[in-house]
Amino acid sequence: MISKQMKLQNKINIRFLIVTFLVFTLAGAAFYIALGKVIDRNIGEILESRRDNVKMFLRQHAVSDSMLVSPDHSITIKPIFSQKKYRKFSDTLLYDEDEKEYVRYRTMTFATSVNGKYYEIAITQSLLESEDLMAVIFYFMVGLFVLVLLALFFLNRWLSASVWKPFFNSLTLLKSFKIGKTRNVQFDKTDIYEFDQLNRTLNNMIQKIQADFINLKEFTENASHEMQTPLTIIQSKLEMALQDKALSTERYHQIRIAYESASRLSKLNEALLLLSKIENQQFIEETDTDLCELTKQRLEFIEELIELKKVKVTVNFHVPVVIKINPYLAEILINNLLNNALKHNLEGGQIVISASDKKITFSNTGTPLTIAPEKLFQRFVKQNAGSESTGLGLAIVSEICKNYKLSLQYDYQNGFHNITLIYIT
Amino acid sequence: MKILVVEDEKDLRETIVSFLEEEGYLCEQAGGLELGTEKVNLYEYDCLLVDIGLPDGNGLNLVTALKKHHPETGIIIISAKNSLDDKISGLDLGADDYLTKPFHLPELNSRIKSLLRRRKFDGKKEITFDNIRIIPENREAYINNELLALTKKEFDLLVFFVTNPQRVLTKESIAEHLWGDFADTSDSFDFVYSHIKNLRRKLLEKSGTNYFQNVYGTGYTFISD
Repeated sequence: MISKQMKLQNKINIRFLIVTFLVFTLAGAAFYIALGKVIDRNIGEILESRRDNVKMFLRQHAVSDSMLVSPDHSITIKPIFSQKKYRKFSDTLLYDEDEKEYVRYRTMTFATSVNGKYYEIAITQSLLESEDLMAVIFYFMVGLFVLVLLALFFLNRWLSASVWKPFFNSLTLLKSFKIGKTRNVQFDKTDIYEFDQLNRTLNNMIQKIQADFINLKEFTENASHEMQTPLTIIQSKLEMALQDKALSTERYHQIRIAYESASRLSKLNEALLLLSKIENQQFIEETDTDLCELTKQRLEFIEELIELKKVKVTVNFHVPVVIKINPYLAEILINNLLNNALKHNLEGGQIVISASDKKITFSNTGTPLTIAPEKLFQRFVKQNAGSESTGLGLAIVSEICKNYKLSLQYDYQNGFHNITLIYIT
Repeated sequence: MKILVVEDEKDLRETIVSFLEEEGYLCEQAGGLELGTEKVNLYEYDCLLVDIGLPDGNGLNLVTALKKHHPETGIIIISAKNSLDDKISGLDLGADDYLTKPFHLPELNSRIKSLLRRRKFDGKKEITFDNIRIIPENREAYINNELLALTKKEFDLLVFFVTNPQRVLTKESIAEHLWGDFADTSDSFDFVYSHIKNLRRKLLEKSGTNYFQNVYGTGYTFISD
């Protein structure tokens, strides 16, 4: 399941907006209802007070038996015979000439007796002002919400620029940190507690990582130094011993075998150290290297060896294959691939090297593998178990590819072993 | 020719010194940076051989010091393999050449001779042995003053042998001289065998002398009859 990523501030904002919206809506609704009730009560009181006025008027003036209507049509007084007293309210929509729109009116109709006579009185009150008031309140709330949105927008900008700055600085610094390459990395103190904590922890962690890396680098380099010296001594002493013409054949043979073993040992040692250095990513320098050019150079370097085995080399380079890689390792990569192609070839066989966009393939004729193809790039796996090679050539190729975004594939088709490198960016 | 060998490993240092003395060089030795610096300040040498990894300091400091006071001295630095940084720093500081451990003594010999040829302008920019005359600069080799038609690797091969005469040179050291770090075992030995055969034939044709003596299973010796 892929989770959607979002900026922290946006996550906060959305939640904030949802809550604010809900609060505004609820508050708005509650306010609206409450206000409605207040207005109702207010209108009710106005109507009551007008009723009292009408009653007072009736008490003081004699009224005919027909219906009386006030000049503004808001009060109608009708004498009735029934002696019931009641009161009811009703709302109607009436067209108002002045406002040129339909306006709501509340009418209170009640029956009451004044001086012994019964009247049905209807008093109508315009609700226009109340409705206008409600509308104002509604728009005000909406406006307020919009203001909150704007304020939030500017607040975010300001926050990103100031409060979040230490965090983004740390993030940038972290992104640019490359172990072994970056010398002095310092995460600043800040007055925000959490970010300060973060920075302190980062500083400690980076220090430890750099110290460990230096230790590791020194260790492998020291190990190399320590082992190479005795090996040089062994090789040199044996080489000097081989100068002695007075040695018996048997003694000479023994010394020769010892010398050859020392030679193999030192090659093995070098290869293992190289592997460990590559694994620990101790080769830091990287340049843009054209593998095709490099292949052509290395081919030239071993052309006599190729001639010796009568191998025919065909090169199909249509485009350069440029990758970012440590130059020393690039040479080793190509060399090992070429050596492999030559070593496991047939006398009079072929080597074909083709390159296309971001892809290069080394093909050589040869007898099928006696080992499982998946094991081909493992350490110490050799096609000829007894051979003198270290069995690390392709393991080194594999390790280099792992570190430099190259995918490595092998297949065997039509009598050709094919090793393909694809640059994945 | 005076050579100063600065190497902390006693056995290795003494092996190198005895080898070089056999070759006819005058040698002095130092086991550390301090002693090395002392000697360099007191005496003049034709060549300095210094190991970078010294116990009491970085050998590269000696390179800098020597460049300042005796710029005409040739410098060869010894470093561990795969330590590119050291190699590059050394060459940047003015070292003439570098060797990585483990190295073959004949290889060391070749490098020293090559270095001295480059630096000492006393007219001897040629290598001569018996009837053979080699001008390394032009990559020309003459036998009885007749120019030899040699391939690149055959020429390098000849130079290697001529600079290490009368020595049994193992096929390993020959292969490594020709292909450096990338000398593989079986194929390069076959090559060595085959090309020495060619070289021997070419020399034999022009001079009637077989300069290459085969040392069974081991390598070859270059000798005059």
